[in-house]
Amino acid sequence: MESIPALTIDDVANIDAVLQKYLEKSEADLVVIVDKGGNVLSQFGDLEVLDVTIIAALAAGSFAATKELARRIGEVEFNALYHQGNGSHIFMNSVDEDTIMITVFGCDTTVGLVRHYSNDTAARLSEILATLRSREQVAFHFGADDVGTSLFEDRK
Amino acid sequence: MSIINYARKEIQFKIVYYGAALCGKTTNLAYIHSRIDAGHRGDLVSLATAADRTLFFDFLPVNAVVIKGFNTKFQLYTVPGQVIYNATRQLVLRSVDGVVFVVDSQWDKMEENVESFHNLRENLAKQNMNLDEIPYVVQYNKRDLDNIAPVNYLDFLFNNEKKRVQSFDAVSSTGQNVFATLNAVSQLLLHKFSKDNNPAESTPAAPATA
Repeated sequence: MESIPALTIDDVANIDAVLQKYLEKSEADLVVIVDKGGNVLSQFGDLEVLDVTIIAALAAGSFAATKELARRIGEVEFNALYHQGNGSHIFMNSVDEDTIMITVFGCDTTVGLVRHYSNDTAARLSEILATLRSREQVAFHFGADDVGTSLFEDRK
Repeated sequence: MSIINYARKEIQFKIVYYGAALCGKTTNLAYIHSRIDAGHRGDLVSLATAADRTLFFDFLPVNAVVIKGFNTKFQLYTVPGQVIYNATRQLVLRSVDGVVFVVDSQWDKMEENVESFHNLRENLAKQNMNLDEIPYVVQYNKRDLDNIAPVNYLDFLFNNEKKRVQSFDAVSSTGQNVFATLNAVSQLLLHKFSKDNNPAESTPAAPATA
């Protein structure tokens, strides 16, 4: 599977349109698209309350960890995972071989509804991502002067 | 794998701290977390056992400089050092952009260090990656202890390829050279990223000051 090195403004707009429609229909709060390395590709919804980067890293880890469990019962991997909380829940499903969709939702909807609409959404996203992977890379260049010598400062 | 997002004006990179069990990988991240302004970092997420051994991974998202209007975001991971957790190490290495190999300088840890170094190469090879093509640096940690191997011996074991990489004498518990290590690997991967995204460029990446 080829990686996605660059997302243009149009790419993000296309993906966001699909995600927005998904959230409206499913009545979920937040959806995050991550690759299986834990990198965030896109996100949409109520982002204020959550650190999306951390959710992405943990979800990618969780998805991979259950792969071995799936193998034990003769599956390649689980296509979807559901974590049920008291008021907030997480539903994760595969978009393609290298991408996961994470949906966070509360009491306004049900896991059945989220699962139902996530299938179509994953299929749409898979098409968009396949197009991005087959596209020529977008050039982005910078020099040593743009970076400087110290990226991180020790706050002593 | 680095991802550049033109809509959100950000570039994401993944750096993995690799090394034998108890060599100080988590301590590196804990020090970085404690010394970077809260506005430039997220929470340090540590999935550890009751005995503080890393079970799954540690994770710390940090923001660095703005380059041409783009925020650079680095995701710092550690791997579990214990031998049995190799599947987890393979998972964490997925899509890696840069590696810090942390060496425990104590003599009695040398066999574990060497085993971990071989394991790093093996796990990268399984993902069709080669350590020689990835920005990486070596950190000789725990230099404050008594029973430590000399640096030239450590160089012989861990930095003896044709292309020598930057190495740092460190004491991660006090922070000595922790940021120097992070800055070096970040510089290297930014230069590689710039070069990879501009095929016309033919000059080699400028090394960071060690």
